[in-house]
Amino acid sequence: MAQEAHGALHDLLAVRGVSRRDFLKYCGSVAAAIGLSETMAPQIAAALEGAPKLLPALWINGGSCTGCTESIAQVDSPDVATIVLDYLAFDYFETIMATAGKQADENIKNTVAAGSYIVVYEGSVMTGFDGNTLFVGGGANNEGAKTGLTVLEEVASNALAVLAVGSCAVDGGWVKAHPNPAKATGVAAWLQHKGIKTPVVNLPTCPVNPEWIVAMVVQLLLVADRDVATFVEKTKWVTREYTDDVTGEKVGLLMPAGIYGQSIHDNCPRRGHFENGEFVTELGSAEEAMGYCLYKVGCKGPQTFTQCPVTRWNRRASWCVESGGPCIGCGGLNWVDNNAPFLMRMSDMQLGGSLGNVQPGSVAAAVGGVAAAALVAHGLGMKAAGRIGDGPPMEEMKAYDRKRGAKKGGDK
Amino acid sequence: MARTVVDPLTRIEGHLRVEVEVTDGKVSDAWVSGTLWRGMELVLQDRHPEDAFWVSQRICGVCPISHSHASAQSTEQALGIKIPNNARIIRNLIEAAQYLHSHILWFYTLTALDYVNPVNALKANIADTYALAEAAGTRMADFGAVAKRLAAFVENGQLSIFTGHYFDHPGYVLPPELDLIATAHYLEALEMQAVAAEIISVMSGKFPHPMTSIPGGTAFVPTESKLDDILFRFLKVKDFIDTALIPDTLAIAPYLLGAASFGGGCGNFLSWGVFEAEDFDPYKRSLPRGFIESAKGLTAQQVGPEDVTEYVEHSWYKDADTGLNPSKGKTEPAYDQYSVDGKYSWGKAARCKDLPAEVGPLSRMLVAYVNGEPTVKKYIDTALGALSKAAGATLEPTVLVSLLGRVAARNLEAAVVAEWSIAWVNELVAAIKGGDSSYFVTDRGSDGDGAGLWEAPRGSVGHWMTVKGGKIANYQVVAPTTWDIAPRDAKGVLGPMEQALVGTPVVDSEKPLEILQVAHSFDP
Repeated sequence: MAQEAHGALHDLLAVRGVSRRDFLKYCGSVAAAIGLSETMAPQIAAALEGAPKLLPALWINGGSCTGCTESIAQVDSPDVATIVLDYLAFDYFETIMATAGKQADENIKNTVAAGSYIVVYEGSVMTGFDGNTLFVGGGANNEGAKTGLTVLEEVASNALAVLAVGSCAVDGGWVKAHPNPAKATGVAAWLQHKGIKTPVVNLPTCPVNPEWIVAMVVQLLLVADRDVATFVEKTKWVTREYTDDVTGEKVGLLMPAGIYGQSIHDNCPRRGHFENGEFVTELGSAEEAMGYCLYKVGCKGPQTFTQCPVTRWNRRASWCVESGGPCIGCGGLNWVDNNAPFLMRMSDMQLGGSLGNVQPGSVAAAVGGVAAAALVAHGLGMKAAGRIGDGPPMEEMKAYDRKRGAKKGGDK
Repeated sequence: MARTVVDPLTRIEGHLRVEVEVTDGKVSDAWVSGTLWRGMELVLQDRHPEDAFWVSQRICGVCPISHSHASAQSTEQALGIKIPNNARIIRNLIEAAQYLHSHILWFYTLTALDYVNPVNALKANIADTYALAEAAGTRMADFGAVAKRLAAFVENGQLSIFTGHYFDHPGYVLPPELDLIATAHYLEALEMQAVAAEIISVMSGKFPHPMTSIPGGTAFVPTESKLDDILFRFLKVKDFIDTALIPDTLAIAPYLLGAASFGGGCGNFLSWGVFEAEDFDPYKRSLPRGFIESAKGLTAQQVGPEDVTEYVEHSWYKDADTGLNPSKGKTEPAYDQYSVDGKYSWGKAARCKDLPAEVGPLSRMLVAYVNGEPTVKKYIDTALGALSKAAGATLEPTVLVSLLGRVAARNLEAAVVAEWSIAWVNELVAAIKGGDSSYFVTDRGSDGDGAGLWEAPRGSVGHWMTVKGGKIANYQVVAPTTWDIAPRDAKGVLGPMEQALVGTPVVDSEKPLEILQVAHSFDP
């Protein structure tokens, strides 16, 4: 389809009943989400408004539960975020597109041929049975069907960038948990394996938090005017390395530092109770009603590096820990194997081999600094066990202890 | 005879392929395939039984609440746990919020585009649109603004999610004014499904993938402000269902009376029952347990976990795994090739009392209706009255066994659940006022068998688990879609969606709109 030049975004917004004030407010929240000052809002607005036409996008479902699509439907209110997402022209989006079958397939072909589009990929990359654990697009008797792998390779090769949204797309997610029966892997690992150089931006958690997708799209426009090299160069990243068990290769996953640079524990509203040694020891108890710390009932906040307590979920209605549910670390790598059993304290995590489990016994004392020290010790324990490559990097010392000048390893 | 294929079948959860044979303008044979296999049951092996609550819900990002509740019940049965009354009410509320979310999303976002033509809405006369909305008793909106917004969207030349649409198909028969009303509500529905999801977020952290209905009860303790957060949102969503979803359904139905004569399918209906009763009796659940067998007429019989069998003659699993009850079920994938005469799906063929069984709102509403459930009876009888008037003939409840009936049943169920949800918030308030502060029990055994049988918005869900020495020794899931998109079984009998497709007219095999309508009516 011919791509006509598109009018300024504010015309679109005006037609859709969105005031300039609402729009700027929204841009402010986007700025905060990507780690910029809210005073950047006018620049973000300018970047959005100056764009010549909708940026074409393909939303591809791999080995997914459709949960990340569900999540993107839960954007912030009023529907300003929806409008900004309309800023992308989703030529393919299985769950919401009007068409189906061969016409849907045509949409992919046309967009790939025209170029200058982004791919949003949800779900695991399915390699089991030569990729036939996911197939699509065949005719009668399935003639001409493609595996999910072929679809990914075709759409990624000519894309500006791929957003791997949700933990499944990042490294295979729960699907790759032991024994990884369908041989699932992540987008970055598979594209590297196939020599496809398109940059991959990774946005873990299960599902993805929709505000973070918006943040990345805006970032692509704001800092780089759609120039991906500039986008990669100018954005602050953290790189998480792991060795993929399907490709056997070492992979470095790019994640935006503004979202994945600090632990949930660092920003948790219950952190004060942790410092006071006030813990929930039984789910659904009076201590829960008082909002005490969930560490003792298995909360994985200290070892999970996402911005959940700040961004929150479902248009800021709540988030896991606020509702009483201990964090299960769904934003970590290989998150099921690394964090289950979920109701056990981190100390009971299976580290494997002769190292056994790290047991920060002093946690039982549950007194402020002592408990904090135990966590630090635990972090070092994980490092000693050689697990650092498979999990988020651990700080040598918690920010809280550093600030008050505690000794390395905590003051006893 | 000609083959028509829809792959991908879009606007669903997951990946689905439909292949049909068309003879004289009607489907004469059908093969429905699940085209993705992830292996959840194998991932859960040897894990702590409680962990299944968090992991197994990730089978489905649209109905994770129901999977998590079936899983929790399975664990509780296996380990001998009885959850506190407060936890029962809270789980019902979380489940109800998901029903409202899911049904709104399904009608407006997933299936409406099979009936509503937003491009045709541009031809609407705005004054006539208001008059029609008034006559239909449906919700007002700024229809002029919506029309302008649509025009701008179409004019920009980038149709986004509407690219490649079928809107020139003769099956789009609504007048432009009704298309405009429905399009306005399509946009408002996006807001309302999100409000319903916020209720889940308040009580369970986030949606999808909730956090609190942990085996033993709930980790959510409702404080005053949380109760308020829940109640006002339920009221807001209920208002939308009463003033938009139901009147829209009744306004659109008279144009689609033809859909009452196809799409019915096997006529066997299963409901495990949903919304737990105080005594935990599945036959006393608000939407009760029961099985309606086509051959025996509209009457419900008892049904239990022992009545389920899964066949793999036409599914990519080892042949030895066939004919098993899920309590002894096996999952051994064995892909070779796609063949409509042999194996053609990753889905197993689930059977109830050895019969294909439709699951979903139509099944639940029919089972509740034949049990005389008063709220369900009220809504169904009102709808049948309205349809009879439109058709100029008295329509019996059996007319519901059709495409039209399946669509209507889902929307009517939304109204029923919305009504009950307000009562359940009050039930929770009363329990708290009465001094009940118990939400979770920690005592539990380490061995046992469980079968958590429950109902997702899209249909019956069962999680079977065997626990030995505190670890999961076997785990099997029979998901709603496993029932509805089941392939043929050992006897060659077609699955429920396959049977519903047979007899469906196909006007344009290049744009098989009717196939989308029938497939979407199951909310697969």
